[in-house]
Amino acid sequence: MTAPLPNPGKKYDLDFARWVYDNVNGGDKMALCMQCGVCSGSCPIGTNMDHGPRKLFMMIRAGMQEAVMTSNTPANCTSCYRCVVRCPRSVPVTYILQDLLAKQAELGYRAKDSNENIAFAKSFWWSARAFGRTDERLVTAKYYWSFGPAEFWKRSMENLKIALGFIKKGRMHIGMPHSVKDKKGLKAILDKAREIESRG
Amino acid sequence: MTETATPTKPKKPGVYVCKGCGIGEAVDADALANVAKSEFRIQTTATQDACCSDEGVAAIKADVDAGTVDGVVVAACSHRVMADRFRFNGTPVVRANLREHVAWSQPPGEEDTEMLAADQVRMAITQVQLTLPPLPSQVQEYSRTLLVLGGGITGMTAAREAVKAGHPVILVEKTDQLGGWANKWAGRMPYRPPYRDVQDSGIAKLVEAVKADKDIDVKLDTRVVKTAGQPGAFTVTLSHGGQESVVNVGAVVVATGFRPYDATKLGHLGYGASPDIVTGVELEAMLKAGGELKRKSDGKPVKHIAFVQCAGSRDPDHLPYCSSVCCGVSIKQALQITKADAKASAYIVYEELRTPGTAEEFYRQAQEAGVIFMKGKATKVDAGAMQVSYTDELLGTEVPLAGLDMIVLATGMVPNSTDPDVPVVEPEKSEAQLKGDINPFSAIPVAGYKPGGAEGPTPPAMPHLDRIPEGGPILNLQYRQGPHIPVLADGFSDSHYICFPYETRRTGIYTAGPVRRPMDMAESAEDAAGAVMKAIQAIQGSKMGVSLHPRVGDLSFPKVGHEKCTKCRRCTVECPFGAIDEDETGRPIINPARCRRCGTCMGACPVQTITFDNYNPQMVNAMIEANEIPDEFSEKPRILVLACENDAYPALDMAGINREKWSPYVRTIPVRCLGSVTLQWVSTALQKGYDGIMLMGCKSGDDYQCHFVKGSAIAKERMSKVGETLKSLALEKERVTMAEVSIADSHRVPKVLNEFAELIGGLDPNPMKGF
Ligand SMILES: Cc1cc2nc3c(=O)[nH]c(=O)nc-3n(C[C@H](O)[C@H](O)[C@H](O)COP(=O)(O)OP(=O)(O)OC[C@H]3O[C@@H](n4cnc5c(N)ncnc54)[C@H](O)[C@@H]3O)c2cc1C
Ligand code: SF4
Ligand code: SF4
Ligand code: SF4
Ligand code: SF4
Repeated sequence: MTAPLPNPGKKYDLDFARWVYDNVNGGDKMALCMQCGVCSGSCPIGTNMDHGPRKLFMMIRAGMQEAVMTSNTPANCTSCYRCVVRCPRSVPVTYILQDLLAKQAELGYRAKDSNENIAFAKSFWWSARAFGRTDERLVTAKYYWSFGPAEFWKRSMENLKIALGFIKKGRMHIGMPHSVKDKKGLKAILDKAREIESRG
Repeated sequence: MTETATPTKPKKPGVYVCKGCGIGEAVDADALANVAKSEFRIQTTATQDACCSDEGVAAIKADVDAGTVDGVVVAACSHRVMADRFRFNGTPVVRANLREHVAWSQPPGEEDTEMLAADQVRMAITQVQLTLPPLPSQVQEYSRTLLVLGGGITGMTAAREAVKAGHPVILVEKTDQLGGWANKWAGRMPYRPPYRDVQDSGIAKLVEAVKADKDIDVKLDTRVVKTAGQPGAFTVTLSHGGQESVVNVGAVVVATGFRPYDATKLGHLGYGASPDIVTGVELEAMLKAGGELKRKSDGKPVKHIAFVQCAGSRDPDHLPYCSSVCCGVSIKQALQITKADAKASAYIVYEELRTPGTAEEFYRQAQEAGVIFMKGKATKVDAGAMQVSYTDELLGTEVPLAGLDMIVLATGMVPNSTDPDVPVVEPEKSEAQLKGDINPFSAIPVAGYKPGGAEGPTPPAMPHLDRIPEGGPILNLQYRQGPHIPVLADGFSDSHYICFPYETRRTGIYTAGPVRRPMDMAESAEDAAGAVMKAIQAIQGSKMGVSLHPRVGDLSFPKVGHEKCTKCRRCTVECPFGAIDEDETGRPIINPARCRRCGTCMGACPVQTITFDNYNPQMVNAMIEANEIPDEFSEKPRILVLACENDAYPALDMAGINREKWSPYVRTIPVRCLGSVTLQWVSTALQKGYDGIMLMGCKSGDDYQCHFVKGSAIAKERMSKVGETLKSLALEKERVTMAEVSIADSHRVPKVLNEFAELIGGLDPNPMKGF
């Protein structure tokens, strides 16, 4: 189990950097970050992050624990590993973000504007569980629907043109969703994963 | 030294005109030989296909050996090349530059080109006829011993290096032990591969080695009372326990190190407000004491510590410069603390982390160990909350580091270019003596010059020149120009960090270590070796009676014609190297071994009575007059360029080599330094009918490039008075100008000359022509 924050509730805490170095997966390597910004610059989803990895790491050093624990940067990471590949100091950025996300959840912080991410994750997992595949149409529709009918309509209309384009080029499937053959096996795998995860 | 008959000026020089390297195609060599014959009645003239060829040199040598000629003019390439080829047993040799300055920079076969070449020959013949082969200055009783002042790592390394090179050493240390500051450090930044961990300072071993060395006479608890003499023969009075003794040494290496910046001036960073706000030096002592690091105030262990970098350094209100070591030192200390206690958080708040040399690797090591680096300027230190606030440049916000157990101010270095324990001698003069001559706008008191000259520019503020470490002189020199070793910018004793390291403006005295610029121990040790090599050269030079850098090996030295001397004292005040003293009656006494042969004294003398055997006011005057000045209707103006031999003339040569073209109306005379230019040359040229005069030399000012430190600054000062001369002759003041050029300016010099030629061409001809 994760060690608790040394001084929870403090806006700035002198012990926070050490806590991250010692407790977050890859945190010790973060000490080598030289703030070049290659990670944030390389990140395909960086514009959606409130801070981006570079700045988040500096905030950790500055002891800004509340801001770090409520940041949406970890939640936005798609694990593409671009930053890890490019970091000149070999900082395992992706691992650090993933574990920070876990710590945020575990210690009861909710990424402050992560609703969209959570909604998307739910749609994604629904499709993954149901078909063993992600069906773009259904994932998107379910995701839009989670914001209510008005928003569903608005977003769908906005993206209709793109969708039609995809269909025309044979890039989007029409008809029944594809599915894996052994759905039962898949379910067993996922249940096992959940069980392992809950063991902590 | 074998003394031969008293040398005389050549009576029958020979003139050898070269046709090689394109000279033969550009000008009529026979016509030039004819100029020598008809105008100067030269008996021996010859044209050669290549003067520098074996046959060419042999032919000249044959004439010299046969006694047919007693002086040689080689009208060929610049005197800066082939000097070794044209050397004939001490017979005066002058070169007329027909290659770089004529054949390679002027259109071939034109009338103007021929006229320029003929003038080059005229000037060279005139020069050789007035050249006395110089004899070395009288060799005194010289000492091979070196005095090293200061027993820190720099002084001890210097002593060891000198002994290795075969010179005995007297090592003077004012405290009761060797080692200097290094004795007090709890460890040393890594100086050996792999440059990652704190190392032992190695100082104890060095102390032992120095003590065991029989050629090093260690004098502890000893001070220098005074120093007199010159390189090769300094007499130094030492004092030990009230007892004075005199030693004779050949040269001095000053390794007096540094004093930490006075932290009591750092009240704005909380110093003094809490016992837990300490300097880096104080933290060293706590770390050296060993055991757990505890707060001074309540003995609690230190778990959170912040280092405030640049405390008093790089701050215009305190030390404007970077002290160079404090970043490395804080890294060292933070690393020691982090390694001793894995739970401790050590914050280093820096603006720029400066990790010269191998310290970058050390920095990485500290990062790996978890030292926390914060980039930003500390804006406030609150002793009550034990808080350092800083503006984080990477976050763009103000960050408070509150509740620290200890705050360390990384204070910088102040050079020991003066001795804080010694009273100031002549307080009212001390400052001018220490820094006066580096600032071109400073008053030169005795010579009666006004700062900036009568119409000169307003002196700019140069606050970094105003910083003088408090204290009295370290060597107490018995020199006319005062007891100090003058300082360069920011109070460090040096003359030019890049071009002339170790050299002070007192020949034979060299500085090494942080007294000359901030540096760590490894750099100091290297520095010590460099300074020792210079010191040994000084001893050797004084033994042979030759000059040191930059006129290495020059035998000539200034001589004063005492019958004409008016005791105006300009020379004694203006010599950049303090080489001239005065006797009781005020007569100038030149110390040749201190002299660097720049000729600044010669340029200063209002009655032109300071001369060198092979360079003097009369000679250059005659050269100026030797040139043919076409009459005012010819539309051929003449421009005299007095070009510094160190940078300007080489730049012109280089322009020639690059085949750049410049005005054929220019007549160039190399000078040793613009400082040697006397105003008489300018007025001679104006009276002879030259239309314009340009002094071309090195940059002056606090970032000067003058090879004689203040020669070009002094020339500037003097030239500010030319306006009056011009006015009295009813001439425009644009006719006389100065140009600053550097050795790298070969592409610019032709432009500078051409622009000036154009300006002069636009004026009426000088009405004095033909008078
Ligand atoms: C806090 C701190 C930590 C440092 N740590 C390191 C480190 O880890 N590694 C490193 O490489 N560098 C370090 N440095 C820099 C290092 O201390 C200097 O580079 C080094 O001390 C220079 O040696 P020095 O012999 O020139 O001068 P000093 O050590 O200052 O020695 C000068 C000696 O001359 C004597 N002296 C002075 N004036 C006179 C006089 N008028 N007559 C006779 N004797 C005189 C003094 O008593 C002294 O013994 C540190 C500096 C500081 C401030
Ligand atoms: S790429 Fe690496 S070193 Fe650069 S800012 Fe990101 S984590 Fe730091
Ligand atoms: S791994 Fe995450 S943080 Fe890194 S570039 Fe990809 S999305 Fe961005
Ligand atoms: S070495 Fe570092 S702390 Fe010291 S003055 Fe330079 S930049 Fe500042
Ligand atoms: S001014 Fe120059 S030439 Fe004259 S004594 Fe001084 S160093 Fe020598």
